[in-house]
Amino acid sequence: MRSRITTLPLVGTLVFVLLVSMTGAQGQPPPLPNPKVAAEAPEIGKYGGTYIISQISDPRTFNPIVVQDTASGAVTNAFSDGLVEQNYITGEIEPALAESWTVSPDGRTWVFTLRDKLVWSDGQPVTTDDVVFSLEAIFTQGVDTSFRDLLTFKGERVQWRKLDARRIQFQTPRSQPPIGLFLRFIGFPVVPKHKLADALAKGGAEFTRSWGVNASAREIVGTGPFTFQSFTPGQRVIMLRNSRYWKVDKNGQRLPYLTRFVIQTVPNQDAARLQFLSRQIDAYGARPREFAELKRQEQAGNFTIYDGPETFTREFLVLNQNPAGVKPPKLTWFQDARFRRAIAQAIDQNTIIQQVYAGRATVPTSDISVGNKLLYNPNLRPYQYNIERAQQLLAEAGYRKGPDGLLRDSQGNVVEFTMATNAGNQDREAIGNLVRQDLTKLGMRVTFAPESFPSLVGKLTGTYNWEAIIIGFTGGIEHGTARNLWLSSGDLHMWNPKQAQPATQWEAQVDQIFEQIATEVDAAKRKQLYWRFQEIVFENLPMIYFPYVKTQPALRNTIGNVKLGLQGATGVLETRYYKGAFRP
Amino acid sequence: MFSYIARRLLNLVPLLIGVSLMSFFVIQLSPGDFLAEIRLNPVVSGDTVEQMRRNLGLDQPLHIQYVKWLWSVLRLDFGYSFAYQVPVGWLIGTRLLNTLILNVAALILAWLVAIPIGIRAATRQYSVSDNAFSMVAYLGISTPTFFSGLLLLYLAFKTGWLPIGGMTSLDYDFLPATGKILDVARHLIIPAAVLGFGASAGLMRQMRGNLLEVLRQDYVRTAKAKGLAERPVVYKHAVRNAINPLITLFGFEIGALLSGSAILENVVGWPGLGQLILDSVIRKDLYVVMASLMLGSVTLVLGNLIADLLLALVDPRIRYD
Repeated sequence: MRSRITTLPLVGTLVFVLLVSMTGAQGQPPPLPNPKVAAEAPEIGKYGGTYIISQISDPRTFNPIVVQDTASGAVTNAFSDGLVEQNYITGEIEPALAESWTVSPDGRTWVFTLRDKLVWSDGQPVTTDDVVFSLEAIFTQGVDTSFRDLLTFKGERVQWRKLDARRIQFQTPRSQPPIGLFLRFIGFPVVPKHKLADALAKGGAEFTRSWGVNASAREIVGTGPFTFQSFTPGQRVIMLRNSRYWKVDKNGQRLPYLTRFVIQTVPNQDAARLQFLSRQIDAYGARPREFAELKRQEQAGNFTIYDGPETFTREFLVLNQNPAGVKPPKLTWFQDARFRRAIAQAIDQNTIIQQVYAGRATVPTSDISVGNKLLYNPNLRPYQYNIERAQQLLAEAGYRKGPDGLLRDSQGNVVEFTMATNAGNQDREAIGNLVRQDLTKLGMRVTFAPESFPSLVGKLTGTYNWEAIIIGFTGGIEHGTARNLWLSSGDLHMWNPKQAQPATQWEAQVDQIFEQIATEVDAAKRKQLYWRFQEIVFENLPMIYFPYVKTQPALRNTIGNVKLGLQGATGVLETRYYKGAFRP
Repeated sequence: MFSYIARRLLNLVPLLIGVSLMSFFVIQLSPGDFLAEIRLNPVVSGDTVEQMRRNLGLDQPLHIQYVKWLWSVLRLDFGYSFAYQVPVGWLIGTRLLNTLILNVAALILAWLVAIPIGIRAATRQYSVSDNAFSMVAYLGISTPTFFSGLLLLYLAFKTGWLPIGGMTSLDYDFLPATGKILDVARHLIIPAAVLGFGASAGLMRQMRGNLLEVLRQDYVRTAKAKGLAERPVVYKHAVRNAINPLITLFGFEIGALLSGSAILENVVGWPGLGQLILDSVIRKDLYVVMASLMLGSVTLVLGNLIADLLLALVDPRIRYD
């Protein structure tokens, strides 16, 4: 701590000198004729300062196209943009690199226009050639990217054509006429052709490896608010202000305000908390149990912990309904919706909320989180903990509890199964134990056996040799992108994947709804479809949900422009500013 | 002597092949693969995952994978990390020095503390100081490093005297050379103390025991009877004879230089090899795991070799010709 204070003035001057010499050498970059105004920011900030956050693991790549993990995403999101972006408060799609777009009456042809005078952080102009190049990269064999699936519709890829330097036209395949979710799918990051063309020319594998964590800062350019400066493995990523960014504040001043953005690598969540409390980092995503304790320390630590909304991540219990994985009688039980409903009715969600999440979670109804204000269906009433009702449901389905207290099906088989989760996830282990107790009350004999994550996934997606699993999926605001999970033909349709024909009527309905969602352009109609989808899932329960966990972001009071958004986001990088006296 | 060293090094080749063969196939025994995480992403299709598997070469039969790996290792190419898509050599290189700094510092600390204390404890057997040192040593042996590491981190947090984890400060890049060294040294205090304390405890007990044994020997009694002063008897004769087993231990410690601090690194956030290796094993990042196992085997063998050579140097009775 002490040495830090003594080194502050020195470092401050150095940064200042660096900045002055940078701008001095190249002059002030010319302003954009039509910049985007950051309308969400409540305050006009002041320039300078450093904002420090932490990540539990190192980034794995700086290539925005191949990013798959959050730690890498935290870096690439700070220096790259797509044609469009999602508003962090409303979840709506807004213009980003593209200032506007038009769509043909049949919904198949989209024309996007780039902002005028848009430049990369090295001063080169951003043109539609870069957009085309990014698309080519995404569709090149050997490039490991998750964007390809978003831009492929029933096996056909989206078509694109450069109209001029600023306009690009997209055409969705004929088989899938108007694409309702097109704006969600088109958010791929645009990468600079002049930096990456050589790598792509050498093939997909080479492109996947380009802009790796061993890349030099000179190579990596972007359009985002910050530019990549340095990465020290196991320690930190340092990013500097991009003076050529395309957003301004409400007074027309060029963003971002901050001079430096630092992502520290910490070994674990506890270390992150310790560093936050000792003021080495500015933001901390607290766990539910820590909320009350941190609330008490707010004053002393000069921070505020916010009562954030629920995340989109769903934790659930899934029963295997795949004939290739389990045999009767278990298959028969798991395929019976009444059996699944009885389980849902027997799980004491409130105890889970209190014991596992210290009260910071909300009772679930269906596959869409309460925190997803855009799509959540508020009409559904959660399954109430009710053992009698659960027993009644089981009795209707022909299950009898014997004098020995064990539940038997109509053939006299004792209802017993193994429930797994990934070992090491304390929340899931705690939930599993509670669920096991609850199900024991019904007379089911449940063995709870956590195992390693890779092994669990191997069973879930490979051998199908499992009975019941507790696991979680992250979610996006537009649920229709989770096609791989919900289409009965999907690989991740866990309970019965890759079906040639929908096995049940409700799965056929969900298939239909997901196809409709994908093609429906009207947002209100899409919402109706999502509501219907939630009702079907609620009714049939292929997954039995656990409470949606609330977020509790904590942020140092010296950081400005704080406004709570979806999933506990507290603001965006470009409008953050440092209120206090500057740290280096 | 040289032919002895050459023989030992030659022995390394079949040993390494054996180790690599064993570990390559044993790793495969645990279920699941590197792509587990991406398989659970609802946005990514099975086809894409399959393609990624092909890109990583995981679709090939095991023996082909092994032979390919072995062939490239012979040309000193350790392959690419699945997770980072950078050469394994680079990845290990970025962390090798950090781990060495920590372990060498701990090693020096441990020996500097343990040897004098061990000698003192032996020469004053059952005195108050001997008993006190024994107590501390038992404490040191029985406290796991992650626990003492956490304890010291908490102390650092409460007092603010030392940085909480990590290896450098935020402003490290802007510091002059001496400032950089001081900065790393400040970060080094906690992990090196924890590691050194743990190691010195065992070492000190070892030193004490060996010396006690030697001090009971006839020639020591003879030397004392001849009227030689206590100091020359202990330091010139007894200690030199008591140190042999410690040199063997030293060899093992050299062998563990790269792996001994793995758990502690994860606790205090020291950006060393241990962190990387642990993550890779959990993630099943095959080639990183393989390279680090190879590295571990080589250092272990070299450590033992160095110990054997040192023994010959210290003890004229030992010859390798």
